[in-house]
Amino acid sequence: MSAFKAPASGKQKKNQADLIYEAQVHAKRRFNTQVALSWVAFLAFITFLFSGVTLTIGGNTFSTIKLDGEFIRSNLKFIAGGAGQTILISALSICLATILALLAALGRLSKFPPIYALSTFYVSLIRGTPLYLQIFFFYLALPQLGIILSGLWAGVLALGLNYGAYMSEIFRAGLSSVGKGQREAALAIGMTPGQTMSRIVIPQALRFAIPPTGNEFIAMLKDSALVSATGFVHELMWRATKVGRAQFNNLEALIIAAVFYWIMTLVFTSLQSRLESYMSRGER
Amino acid sequence: MKAIVKIKNLEKYFGRLHVLKNINLEVDAKEVVCIIGRSGSGKSTLLRCINFLEEPSDGEIEVDGLCIPCSLKGKERRQRVFEIRLSSGMVFQEFNLFPHMTVLENVMEGPLTVKKMDKASAVKIAEMNLERVGMIIKKDEYPNRISGGQKQRVAIARALAMEPKVMLFDEPTSALDPELIGEVLTVMKSLAREGTTMLVVTHEMEFACEVANRVIVIHDGELVEQAAPADLINHPQNVHTQALLERYRAGKSPQVEA
Repeated sequence: MSAFKAPASGKQKKNQADLIYEAQVHAKRRFNTQVALSWVAFLAFITFLFSGVTLTIGGNTFSTIKLDGEFIRSNLKFIAGGAGQTILISALSICLATILALLAALGRLSKFPPIYALSTFYVSLIRGTPLYLQIFFFYLALPQLGIILSGLWAGVLALGLNYGAYMSEIFRAGLSSVGKGQREAALAIGMTPGQTMSRIVIPQALRFAIPPTGNEFIAMLKDSALVSATGFVHELMWRATKVGRAQFNNLEALIIAAVFYWIMTLVFTSLQSRLESYMSRGER
Repeated sequence: MKAIVKIKNLEKYFGRLHVLKNINLEVDAKEVVCIIGRSGSGKSTLLRCINFLEEPSDGEIEVDGLCIPCSLKGKERRQRVFEIRLSSGMVFQEFNLFPHMTVLENVMEGPLTVKKMDKASAVKIAEMNLERVGMIIKKDEYPNRISGGQKQRVAIARALAMEPKVMLFDEPTSALDPELIGEVLTVMKSLAREGTTMLVVTHEMEFACEVANRVIVIHDGELVEQAAPADLINHPQNVHTQALLERYRAGKSPQVEA
C-alpha cells in the first residue's frame, strides 16, 4: 500500500511550473473542444436550413428550404462519378506544373540572358492572362491552327502551364534557400555545376518546396472545375451542371458537387498537414 | 623537396578593391603552413584562389604539377580546375555538410559522384576516413543531429575521402564553441603527423606553434612575413606581424585552446 501512497503524496507537491503548464494544456484543450462543437453546430444549422421542415412558432409558420430528395437520390451517383476525373486532371496538371515550375525557377538562376528572359517571359505571360482564357485558348483557339486537343488535355495543359508559372516562385525560393556554402562544398570535392545542381541543390530545394506544392494541388482541385467549360470533360462540375440544368435542379446538383469538393479538400488538407509535419521532422 | 602548391604573382580584385597583392608562395609536400592575419586581410581569399572557388585576377596557380595561368581560358582551363579540385581537399569554416545526406553519405558523395566508384568501394573509403576522424559511430546520423565539432570532423573526412594531395583549411575552428575546438585540432594534428600537406588559415596560435613548419602573415593583401613559428613569435621582423602578435597575446582574437 505504501508503494501506492508515495506517488499520490508526490502529486500534491506539484510545483508551480507544472500547475501553470497543466492549466495551459487544459485551456487549450477546452478551446479546441469548443471549436469542434461549434463546427458541428454550424453544420447542423446548415443541414437544418436545407431540411425542408415546416415549423410553427407562436402562430407564425416558417419553412426551411426544401431540396428535391428524389433528384438527389437518382443523380448522386452520377455526379459523384466525376470526382475521379477531377482528381485525375489535378494530378496530371500538378505533375506538369511541378516540372515547368522547376525549369522556370532554374531559368531565373541562369546567367545566360535568353534563358533568363524565357523564364521571366513565360511567368509574366501566364500570370498576365486569366486561367479561364487559357483553357479556352488550348481548347478552342488551337484547332484553328490545326492542333486539336481533347478537353482533358487542353485542361491539363492550361492548368499545368498556369500553376507552373505561379509555382515557379515557390521553387525559386526553394533553390535560393540552399546556401552558397553548399554549392562551394560540392564544387570543392570536384563536382561539376550540373552534378552540384542535381545531387546537392535540387534535392534540398525540393524538400523545401514539397509542402507548398501540396497546397497548390488542393487549390488546383477546385480550379479544375473551370475545365468543365470545355463541355467534354466529365468531372464533378460538368456533371453537376449537366443534370442540374436538364432537370432545373441546379440547387441540388451544385450542393452535391460542393459537398464533394469540400470533402476532397478536407481529405487532402489533412494528408497535406501530415506530409508537412513529416517533412519538417529533420529540421527540429 | 617537391612543391605541391606554387602560387606566382597572384593578384585578386573584388571590383575596385585590391584584396591580394602579388602573392608568391610555395608549399612543399608534407609541409604544414599556417596563414595568419587580421580579419579582412585576404587570407581566406588566398586559400580560395588555390582551388578556384575565387577566380584569381592575375598570376598563376600550380597544384601537384598542374599549372593554371590566368591567360588560360575555355575547356582546357575547366579541365585543369577540375583536376586541381580533385587534388585539393577543402574544409570550410561553416562545415557545409550536405544536410539531406547521412554522415556516411556525405563522405561517400565525392568518391561516388566524382570518381564514379562503385558503392561498395565508396562505403569502404568513407568508413575508413570516418574512422580516421573518430566519427564512425555516427555514420548513420544526419548532420543536424551532431555537434559542431563533430560536423567539422565529418567535413574533414569528406575532404580526405578524395585522397587529396593538399588539404586546405579555411578557419576550421572559428565557428565552433570553445569547448569543441580541441577535438577538431586533435584530428588536424594527427593528419599533420601522418604527413598530410596542409595549408591552414587560422587564429589558433598554439596550434600554429605546435604543428606548423612555417607561418605566413598576410596584411592588407600582402604577404608581409614568413618564418618558422618559433622565429616568428620570438623575433617578428615586420611591424604588422608585431602588431598582430600583440593582439593575439591580448586575447582579442578567438581564444586559443588550453
